[in-house]
Amino acid sequence: MRIWITRKTIILTAIIGGILLLAMVTFNTFVSSRQVIKATDDAVSEVSSFYLEAMADRRAKTVTSLIEHNFVQMEKAVGFINEQGITNNNELRDTLGNIKSLLSLDRFALVDVDNVVHTQYTTYTGGSRHPFLSSDVMDDKCVSTVSLYGSSKLLCLAAPTPNLRIVGKQYKASFVQIDIKEIVDLLAFDDEGRTYFGIYSKSGENLSDTELGPYISKHNLFDMLKDVIPEGEWNLNHENFSNAVKGSITFTANGVAETLCYVPVDNTDWMMVVLIRESVIHDRIRSISEESQTLSYRQIAFTLIFSVIFFLTLIFMFKDLSIKDLEAEKENTRTFQSMANTDSLTGIRNKHAYSDAEASLNQMIRDNTLTKLAIVVCDINGLKHVNDTLGHAAGDKLIRDASEMICRHFTHGAVYRIGGDEFAVILQEKGYDTMMDVIKDFNREVENNITRDEVVVSLGYSTLTPSDQLVHDVFKRADQMMYERKQQLKSMGATTRSDSTS
Amino acid sequence: MRVFIRRICISLTAVISAFALTSCSAVISDTNNSDNSITDTVANPSDDEAHASVHSAVDFNHKLDSYTPKKNHYNFYFTYKTVHPWWDAVALGMEDAQRQYLDKGIKITYEYMAPPSASASDQTKKLLDAKNKDYDVIGVDVADEDIISPLLDSLVEDGTKIMTFSSSDAAPGCKRIAYVGNTHNYEDGADLTEALCKKLDYKGKVAILVGSFGAPCHEDRARGAKDTIAKYPDMEIVATEYDMDSVVLAYQLTLDILAKHPDLDGIICCNMSNPVGAARAITEQGSHAVIVGMDHDQEALHYLKDGVIYCLGVQDCYSIGFDTIQIAVKIADGNMPGELFKEKTDEITTVIYQEDAATMLALLYGDD
Repeated sequence: MRIWITRKTIILTAIIGGILLLAMVTFNTFVSSRQVIKATDDAVSEVSSFYLEAMADRRAKTVTSLIEHNFVQMEKAVGFINEQGITNNNELRDTLGNIKSLLSLDRFALVDVDNVVHTQYTTYTGGSRHPFLSSDVMDDKCVSTVSLYGSSKLLCLAAPTPNLRIVGKQYKASFVQIDIKEIVDLLAFDDEGRTYFGIYSKSGENLSDTELGPYISKHNLFDMLKDVIPEGEWNLNHENFSNAVKGSITFTANGVAETLCYVPVDNTDWMMVVLIRESVIHDRIRSISEESQTLSYRQIAFTLIFSVIFFLTLIFMFKDLSIKDLEAEKENTRTFQSMANTDSLTGIRNKHAYSDAEASLNQMIRDNTLTKLAIVVCDINGLKHVNDTLGHAAGDKLIRDASEMICRHFTHGAVYRIGGDEFAVILQEKGYDTMMDVIKDFNREVENNITRDEVVVSLGYSTLTPSDQLVHDVFKRADQMMYERKQQLKSMGATTRSDSTS
Repeated sequence: MRVFIRRICISLTAVISAFALTSCSAVISDTNNSDNSITDTVANPSDDEAHASVHSAVDFNHKLDSYTPKKNHYNFYFTYKTVHPWWDAVALGMEDAQRQYLDKGIKITYEYMAPPSASASDQTKKLLDAKNKDYDVIGVDVADEDIISPLLDSLVEDGTKIMTFSSSDAAPGCKRIAYVGNTHNYEDGADLTEALCKKLDYKGKVAILVGSFGAPCHEDRARGAKDTIAKYPDMEIVATEYDMDSVVLAYQLTLDILAKHPDLDGIICCNMSNPVGAARAITEQGSHAVIVGMDHDQEALHYLKDGVIYCLGVQDCYSIGFDTIQIAVKIADGNMPGELFKEKTDEITTVIYQEDAATMLALLYGDD
């Protein structure tokens, strides 16, 4: 019982341990797979942000270069005008026209101290039209964004012209106005339609009239972001924008993740914004991640199936082994029992087996279920004499011969060696019915053996009578009869124990 | 039977009433539509039509007509009342026309000049200077019709080709060749005031901010406003002030009016500057006075959007500028009003309300 519990415990422990191990392996694989994907996503986001920031930077620098280039050209233009010795308004207009072709300054204009603007074709009072003219004196270069009636937005670059006098009139400034849409066209390089970009005011107003993806489109950046990013993040980015600090925002709109980067454009009050939505790189890496995830899931499934099969096989083998062990144990038990009940010299049942049988028969007698029982008691004549004269080997042979003879005759009975030279035969049913004939044949052979100097066995028998309470009662009568037969055989010339003693 | 007859009567009454109301509305609508190119977005029955009306308030998509100019270079001189964003908007329309002529190989050069504040004497000086220069046409936005109109007559008599443009024509009978601009300033003032009276349920105290002394457009609007107020016995004009087309002055005058009349119910603003000044003042003072005014100032449109200003009459400045150049070219070629152009080229004014403000801001300033 103790061994069985231990085995069961081991099997249970193995199964539970195996399941736990399997679960841990599966969980770890799953978690690892997820972590790899997350790490990949993070890396992609970082790369995307970096990529976007680089793009935004490049575009911002292009705008800055454009501004610097225009200022240089404006300075050259003013120098050129000074050299022309202009004497009237028509000459000034012609000169301004030449500047357009010479210096590629399309909308170059001069402003005199009365805020009258001079262009190639028109002369107009511009105090209310150009914000940079709001102060009487202009000390330094000025870059401003102008929203025109009609929704056009212009970049206005103005520079003071302290040394410019034309026809005795002092000029206050030169300026150019560049349509922001033209700047955007200039910036649309190497894009291939993968990204969106726009020029924004620090309040998030779209100045370039370009669509920043389908969600934000041309609307105010922060009006649109309000619904898709947390308030804290919104505030932070809004502040960044206001303070011309670069940054990035990732948000999901209409189920699509989008990342935008913004950088200030030097020398302006603009922010350059670049947006990417599910870029090609991101798509490719995501695709790789998904393939990797699928592979991981397959590995998990394969491991699970393999493990289940393995454990089922193991359990089956355990079970099979247990059955075999059980059978072997039963066989051993049987062997031990057989060895315990068998006489090692003759191979027939021994005294122990006889005692078991006697106990069983006694119970049947008590239960009154036994009707036919006869006990035959046999004793080998002259065994001691043979041992003493011919040795124990000869004695043993005599015992085996006697046993063989008894078994040969009592084929329907159970033969037991119950002592050194004593045997008992229990006869029931058919053995009981044929007993007398068998005894007769047996005794005849014994008597013949006396003259042939072969095995002589004295035999006594008795049957169960109603007064018998134990097998032993029958045995005693048979034993008595056997002694009497021994005397009779002695008289017929057979050797007896007393002979050898004498 | 009696019940049946009663039901028939009720049904007939309802049908007749509905028919009568429909007819009545049609009459009002017709009246508005025929009222000298003034459109009112509220008079239109649906939102879609209202927005369409807002979008057509200013036409930025002009093309030159089929007229073939006789020269390849024209030189014009234009003078207008005062340096102000309203005329900057007109200038953009002029520049559009100038570019389109240039694309056809025709060079248009011009001067477009104004004093820092409206001044008939400054305009007189400018016109006399211009007379001595070789301009094909001189265009004038009349600063004061009483002073400038005779001058224009004398210039015309001297052979100078004179046209008037933008907000103010010369006095009736002036010999100028043509006028391009708002021909219904009186009606604009009357319509805005009518909207205000209706809002105030035809009773209350109102003030009028006129604009510049003698400026025909401002004076005409003020006249239209006064005549409208006069129709309603429970309406009273408690102040009429001239802000000289200055936001700062309009603001200060409104503060003064509010100090004297804290129970002021409305302000009628006759130009582009004074709705802004008035709105700043009533916002600051927490007054509930209803403001009606003119034009498309971005700040004023925001006040309209926020409900501080009740309605604005928006003029199509861009078209005024574009048409001015086109007609100046025709006049320079010696053409007179007739088939090629009208003696008075009418431009529209659209009255817009709070619900139209965002659309107008987006349309005019890309401001959303």
